[in-house]
Amino acid sequence: MLKTIKPKNARTKRILKKREPKVEENVKTAIFIRGSTTSQVVNDALSDLCRLRRSNSINFTKKNNIHPFDDDTSLDFYCAKNDSSLFVIGSHSKKRPHNLVFGRMFDGQVLDMIEVGIEKAITMNEIKTPKCSMGMKPLFIFNGELFETSQVHKTFKNMMLDFYRGQTMESINVSGLEYVISITATGSITSSDNTVPSTFDGKIFFRVYTIQMTKSGQKVPRVELEDMGPNYEFKFRRTRFAKEEVYKIATKIPKTLKPKKVKNVGVNEIGDKVGRIHVGRQDLGKLQTRKMKGLKRMSEDNDRTEDWSRKKRKA
Amino acid sequence: MDVSAQLEAQKSKYKSINVEKQVPLQFDLGLLAGFDVNALEENKLKVETDNYLKSYTRDGTQLLINEIFRLPLTSVQDVGVVAELPKIVTAIPREKPLPKPKPPTRWERFAKLKGIKKNKKSRLIYDERRGEWVPRWGYKGTNDDGANEWLNEARHRRNIEEVEIDASQQLNSAQPQLKSKVNAKVLKKTELRRQITMAKTSTASLGKFDKPVKGEPSNTKGAKRKFESNLGDIQKEKEARLSILNKIIDKKGEILNVRKAIAKNNQQN
Repeated sequence: MLKTIKPKNARTKRILKKREPKVEENVKTAIFIRGSTTSQVVNDALSDLCRLRRSNSINFTKKNNIHPFDDDTSLDFYCAKNDSSLFVIGSHSKKRPHNLVFGRMFDGQVLDMIEVGIEKAITMNEIKTPKCSMGMKPLFIFNGELFETSQVHKTFKNMMLDFYRGQTMESINVSGLEYVISITATGSITSSDNTVPSTFDGKIFFRVYTIQMTKSGQKVPRVELEDMGPNYEFKFRRTRFAKEEVYKIATKIPKTLKPKKVKNVGVNEIGDKVGRIHVGRQDLGKLQTRKMKGLKRMSEDNDRTEDWSRKKRKA
Repeated sequence: MDVSAQLEAQKSKYKSINVEKQVPLQFDLGLLAGFDVNALEENKLKVETDNYLKSYTRDGTQLLINEIFRLPLTSVQDVGVVAELPKIVTAIPREKPLPKPKPPTRWERFAKLKGIKKNKKSRLIYDERRGEWVPRWGYKGTNDDGANEWLNEARHRRNIEEVEIDASQQLNSAQPQLKSKVNAKVLKKTELRRQITMAKTSTASLGKFDKPVKGEPSNTKGAKRKFESNLGDIQKEKEARLSILNKIIDKKGEILNVRKAIAKNNQQN
């Protein structure tokens, strides 16, 4: 366990303040660790995935004896020390060749993990095309209905979005949309249990392309893609999902960031902005109306016609 | 004027940006993500994986770009076209729990109790004299007492003549301000004498061997106090002490002469 440091000078104080929990968080840091044995494929994959995530990612070069699904302590320590909440552990063994474990942390503890095996891999250096400038925000495309139905796929989608989304921005320069990460899921569920990945016979295709925008005669440009980054074919192995309560706390949006509800204002079917005004109760007896003398009730109904004729003569 | 033919010709020059999909895509533009649930062609995927994936992704990306261009766009100087992104829809977990509200500090508690509010003074203030917004302090500010003004109103002065008289009076009077009724002449004399003594004794031999000046008192320093020997006459000592005591007690209980004391005090002050 890391001991809590008491700041002795302004510099340390600033660093600690940066690591404090905040309402709007910093960009997540990711660490790329090598297990006790790794293969060339795994090493290349780790370095490529690290490159895709240019800043805020630390690539460990030495091998560490780390087993994520058995023991959490060393992992917790690494993440706490580097103030990171995302990790990728690469290893290679006969039972699990070319293994990658993607994982996330919450509050210093492992939230969820997904283990994938690399079936086919092509590194960035092998594809001789110009690469995009690093540090840009990527576009994401998830193909396949499994990303909506299967829990493993949903978690993996969430993880990939978390890993590569970059800094949260309010607006983006259109010319800065340089590359797209496309993840395609194939296969079908062979058993009713959609949480266990071994029931899949399908694969995950991980592709990264650079975007070229060409003229289209209209405001919106025509998109053309060019192969860029690492290409992988993944197969799911083990998973560890987040506990419900923990996940709920982790995805809680603070009140300050929630959009404020405006009362009595809404949009009707056509799309017009409609407002409601609440008027108090009206006493109909005290309403001011147009007075019509003819309708006035006389004291004696008999005298009515006589009075009328008399009045007319007078006028 | 029918330009439709020309428009058609123009359009056909370029490739289409429209994409047909069975099920429309879901988007989360805050993350720049598009989710496609349409079924993929399995055999194409097996045979020519890369090309098929590339074209399929191109379609998806085209739709995503179309969607992005539907957002409110502004043209920023030197940067280009900027699209305003909406808030993120997918729930992505945080890395740390929400911060707990910190307890108010001692000062904050006191300020709340007293109703003290922080009033931030603005840098610019409306200057009536100049008729414009100027800084409160600093360069070309309102704080400079009109030192740089070419014309200043004479403030707190009654007449110009009185001003002149004041000035001349100040110059002529070299006397120091005296608080009490002490004679200024006497004070000056004692002051001078003191200064002479100081000057005299500031030689190497403390003024002992200086030639005496005519009219100057030679023994300026007080006589040294003489004490009786400890081993002297006891009888003499006894008499001396008793005489002192008699002087004090003999006055029939009146130890302090109030009238004399007041007079002496007044003289001293």
